[in-house]
This record gives sequence, structure tokens and C-alpha cells, in this order.
Amino acid sequence: MSLFGTTSGFGTGGTSMFGSTTTDNHNPMKDIEVTSSPDDSIGCLSFSPPTLPGNFLIAGSWANDVRCWEVQDSGQTIPKAQQMHTGPVLDVCWSDDGSKVFTASCDKTAKMWDLNSNQAIQIAQHDAPVKTIHWIKAPNYSCVMTGSWDKTLKFWDTRSSNPMMVLQLPERCYCADVIYPMAVVATAERGLIVYQLENQPSEFRRIESPLKHQHRCVAIFRDKQNKPTGFALGSIEGRVAIHYINPPNPAKDNFTFKCHRSNGTNTSAPQDIYAVNGIAFHPVHGTLATVGSDGRFSFWDKDARTKLKTSEQLDQPISACCFNHNGNIFAYASSYDWSKGQE
Amino acid sequence: MTICQFFLQGRCRFGDRCWNEHPGARGASGGRQQPQQQSSVMILGSSRRGWNASNQRYSGVIQPSSFSKSTPWGGSKDQEKSSLGSFEPGTSAGRDREFGLSQNPFALLSPDEQKEEKKLLEGIVKDMEVWESSGQWMFSVYSPMKKEPNISGFTDISPEELRLQYHNFLTSNNLQSYLNSIQQLINQWRKRVNELKTLNTATKVTLLPDVKAGVSQAARVFGFGSGQGPTFGSAGFPLNNSSSDTARNFSFKPSSGFVTAPSENQSVFGSPPAFGATPSASSAATTSASPFGFGKPKITSAASFSFKSPTASGFGPPGFSAFPASLAAGPVGAPGFGSGSFVAGFGGPGSHSNTAFSKPSHNVFGNNNTATSLPVSNGCITTDNVLFTPKDQLTVEELEQFQSRKFTLGKIPLKPPPVELLNI
Repeated sequence: MSLFGTTSGFGTGGTSMFGSTTTDNHNPMKDIEVTSSPDDSIGCLSFSPPTLPGNFLIAGSWANDVRCWEVQDSGQTIPKAQQMHTGPVLDVCWSDDGSKVFTASCDKTAKMWDLNSNQAIQIAQHDAPVKTIHWIKAPNYSCVMTGSWDKTLKFWDTRSSNPMMVLQLPERCYCADVIYPMAVVATAERGLIVYQLENQPSEFRRIESPLKHQHRCVAIFRDKQNKPTGFALGSIEGRVAIHYINPPNPAKDNFTFKCHRSNGTNTSAPQDIYAVNGIAFHPVHGTLATVGSDGRFSFWDKDARTKLKTSEQLDQPISACCFNHNGNIFAYASSYDWSKGQE
Repeated sequence: MTICQFFLQGRCRFGDRCWNEHPGARGASGGRQQPQQQSSVMILGSSRRGWNASNQRYSGVIQPSSFSKSTPWGGSKDQEKSSLGSFEPGTSAGRDREFGLSQNPFALLSPDEQKEEKKLLEGIVKDMEVWESSGQWMFSVYSPMKKEPNISGFTDISPEELRLQYHNFLTSNNLQSYLNSIQQLINQWRKRVNELKTLNTATKVTLLPDVKAGVSQAARVFGFGSGQGPTFGSAGFPLNNSSSDTARNFSFKPSSGFVTAPSENQSVFGSPPAFGATPSASSAATTSASPFGFGKPKITSAASFSFKSPTASGFGPPGFSAFPASLAAGPVGAPGFGSGSFVAGFGGPGSHSNTAFSKPSHNVFGNNNTATSLPVSNGCITTDNVLFTPKDQLTVEELEQFQSRKFTLGKIPLKPPPVELLNI
């Protein structure tokens, strides 16, 4: 499939642990490596929205920095700019007009980075590291949604230092995704909440987690009419759950599948199970990509319930992934994700 | 369901299609169903399948005789229990064959719940093994089934949080304390995983509230309806479904206790018709019904009655005592399910139970002699002492409970009453 043809943006990092990577599994897929990648693990990746001509990739890393590259159609990556936080950057996202980048960091703040002026100002404050940040563009309002380990979800108008709204979460926010008018937040203790964002963000439903273990990442998918209709939830247990919000037949439509395990078919030998670090949906085709701690990425078709492709194993876990706005480019970051502790 | 004789000989020509029970074969057939399905969905779906499949077979069967079929359940239960370790969580298909057997909703539901419970526990054990061996992230909460609450003892820590801590400690040059705390967490986790893996009665009791909620939910799914009922069942489940012999003992004891009850207060157990009615073939069934009758909360007086009678009638099994207590408070119906779990115990002791329970009269204790032989026949207990606890083995509190008119919730003894305290 040509859509996955041009993969690029292979950022590497992880200075601390996987030091001895002398094998050439560094880039087994022979994908294009991004030049001057961050020095430490990459926590998040984000491509620019369609409103911006060209493709720009933002990556936040544990080296406290956020870097921006321009990715050309040839695959060339040109580092453009960089901003610093005082703590590792956990999440990044673009505004809908592509002029600003929002970054969330362990220093309990979130910053807005104006790319034109290359200035970054703080727009949000939490009591604990900010784990997720998303831009919400509604007909009657627009704001930044930040989820933090202080168990709150805050909505910020970038001009004011007070949040527009604060929603309490049952537990620490581990991951979130927003496609207007739906937002999904997955928390610790297997919590899962769906919000509806029309008019004003409000809690829509609390869902029983379809997974047995810790939630790791979540991504919303759309239906044929391009409306958000469900989400994919990944856990540390090498499993992804596809969940529809209002399915015609819940028992049959919602399902989970195993991925990122060492030996898929041989069930007698103990498998190695890896966490699913990131999920991304192709904007055009609706197929999804998962990246895991085993150092592989896979593409899946959730409607046909089949696996489309799995990459070769990289020598480091893949910690983040992202599609560009038209789905031509798939970026993934290979860096240590702390899945084995500080070893 | 009857055990397939041909399968036991290794030559059943129907194989999976066979209407009879193939003990131990369920693991193989159920395991294949796992991929790409929610396990909870499987359980529901396949249990319905089991219902239909069996109902076709037994649709014309009247209640009593269908109950008589439950006798092999106990036997098959034993065999299932013996192969417990080899069962995969996805063996709902196998168990479901036993689900839809009888027409009596009570008997239907109680084995259902029982199976649910057992499945959950097995699932937990299996998951623990996988968790440990697979090298997956250990600081995660866990729940045995989709809709269940998390099992206690596990904390959720994401890799990022851990890493952040590392960074913080790095800057403060206090790496050693960080490493120590990590080591502590790891040890805690290992301990908990091992606890859950081995699943002795102690851990089971603590697991009870965790799993109970789930079981009650599952029960609700099956349309039990009454809020309290499932909890009864689950209360009994760990005790009964545990692979420990003590649980098995309990399941037998209630039978004796219950049998007396109907004799004394027929109206109480009026609802389970099997009870007062057809003592003959349906004996096993009736006895199974009787606990259900106990379950019938609408008979609140009965509930309390049943507790009083235990003191008079060798009540014993904590599992049942738990039921009546809750029954007294709760709505109708579901409690029967919990007691239904004891059906296996009833059914288990083969034909003996039939005769023993077929005469709901004060002779029950005469029959108790056969009842005591039941455990023997099932191979769990071999001494009469198991049925009653010697007085000196009871704690003061337990003794007090046995001596009082009613059990108080929360203090119900887990041991059977001493023979001296029984008023026969």
C-alpha cells in the first residue's frame, strides 16, 4: 500500500540505557532517519495539521526539549527550531491553524510555542506533571485541554492564566485523545471516561475498561462519515481494545486483540508481552498503527480484524508514532521507554 | 449432565458434539476460542449456546428428572477440579454444557455462577503466570475480567512516572534510595502475584469482595436480578469451588442441614417445588432446590429459620450460613443461585445423596450417616469429624455464634458446628 510507503522520521534517542546497540537493527526497515534527533527518549510525536503547507514534525523528549523539523516530500528532514522546558516533555500538539504548538511537560506546566515568533509562553499550570495536551476547536469556543497526574483535566483559554474549566478525574490521567466533539481520557486504575465537547466539555460516559491491565495509550477513530465513533485503547499487556461508543451490537462490535508479543501463534511457550506505547489512526483509510516496547510497529485493519504488516524488530522500543495529515508519512520514534526500569 | 461413558474409555464417537459431559476435555475445545474476542463476551455468548444445546436435549424433561441429572455434576466437578490447573480461562464452552441442563431456574443459575467464579479464579491464576513469565510491566492494576473491579494489592505506576522519579532522584544524588524503593515495589508485586497464583483459601477470602462484585455483575447479566443473591453465591463460591477439600466439605454439610429444614417448614421452601415434592428421582434436584429455597429471601422468616435450624440440624457450612444471613435481608431468587453452587456438592455424592435427601424428615440425621459418607465417596473427607467440628477446635467467638439463636453477619463461623451443639 503506497500510503505506508514513505515512512520517515526515525528519531533515535535513549542515551542512558540501551548503550550497546552495535547491531545494525538500528534501522532495520531502512526508513529515513531524522537528522539531529533529540538526545534522550522521545515521548511524543506530532505532525502539523493540513492547514499548514508542507509537513512539520514536532517531537518532545526527555531531554526537556521540543524540536521541530520540516519533512519534505523527498523525505529530507530539516531541523527547524527548538524550545526548552524545565522538565521532560510528555506531550505535544498543534493548534488547528498550524501556527502554534502546545507542549506539556513534567515541570507541571504547558507552554504555547508560537512558531512564527519562536516564542513560548506558559499557558497552563497543574499540581503534577502534565501528561496530555490537546487542542480543541469547537464552533463556539477553542481551548487547550490538559490532563495531568494530579487527577484533573483542565481546559485553558490561552490568553488567561486561569483554566476555563476543571474536571476531576478518578485517577491520574495516563493518556487522552480528542477529535471534536469527542474526547477520551484513560486514567490509572483502569479508568476510562468519554467526554462530549459540544457547547462545553462535559463528561459523557464512564466506560468499564475492556482491558485487564494498565492503560497506556488511546486513539479515537472515525466512522465513514468522518465522525468520531470509537477509540482504540492500548495497555501494557500487549493488547489493544477497539471500543465503539454506541455500537449496534456491543458484544460483537467491540473486541480486543493481542499484539506486540513475542510469539504470536505458539501459545504453549511463555510469551514475552510488551506494552503498546502508541496508537495512531490513518486519517484517510482508518487503519491503525500500533507501536510497542518490543521495538516493532504494526498496521492493522480494525474492520477486517486483520493485521496488515509488522515491521522488523528494532533494537529499541518504539515510544511514539504519528501519521501526517494525509497519511503519506508515518513517523515513529525509537527510544527507550523505561519498560524495564532503569536498567 | 451425564458423564459420557465412551469418552471415559476414550472412544466417544461424537467428540465435541456429544451431549454428555466429557470431563477434562473442555480445556482443549475452549482454548481455541480465545483470539480476538472479549473473554467476557465469550462467556455470555457461549453460555447461551450451552443453554440452547442442552435445552434441546432436555426440553421435554420434567423438573424432577432433570434434577436427577445433576448428580453427575458433582462427580464431574471433581474431575474438573482435578484438572483445574490445565483449564484455560476460555473454557466457557465446556462448562456451558452443564448450564442449560435443567428447567428449574435455580439449578440453572447456581451452577452458572459457580462456573463463573471458578472461571474467574482460573483466569486469575493463568494471568498471574503469564504476567510473571512474560516480562510485561509489573506496576499495573489488574482485574480478572473485563467488567470487574481491580484486584487489590496492585498499584498502577506508569513508566513515565517511574522515570520521572528516577530523574528527580538523579538530580538529588539520591539514586540509591530510588533503587531501594523500586526494589521494594517489585518485591511487593512479586509477593502479590505469587499469592494470587497459589490461590489458597486465605487469598480467596480477600479476593472475595473483588470477585464478588464481578460475580454479582455476571449474575445480573444472567438475569438473576436480585442484588443480593449473587453475592450469596459468590460468598459460597470460593469456599465451595476452591480446590481445597474444606470447601468440599462445606458443600456437603449444608445438604444435611437443609434437608431437615424442609421437613420442618415446608412452606418456607414452598417455592422450590422440588423441595417438598418429588423426593424420589428428583432427590438430588430437590436438595439442590432446597438450598435455593433457603435462598428465597421472600421467606425472610425462613431465612432466619434456616439459621436457627442449623443449630438444630447440623447446619455447618459457613457458605450456607452466609447465604441465609444475606437472604434474610435480600430479595428473592438470586440467593438460590448461591446455594446452587452446592448442588455440585449434592450431586457429587452420587446416589447416596438421592436417598438421603429424598426423605425430608427428621430422619435426615439418620441420613446424615450417608451424608457423611458422601464426602468419602467424593474422596474429599474420610472422617466424620469433618462434618462437625470438635468443640475444642472452635474459637470462643465461633462457639458463641453456634450457641446463639441466629448467626450475626460478619461473625459466621467458617467451621461446621460441633456435634454437641446440635439439637436433633
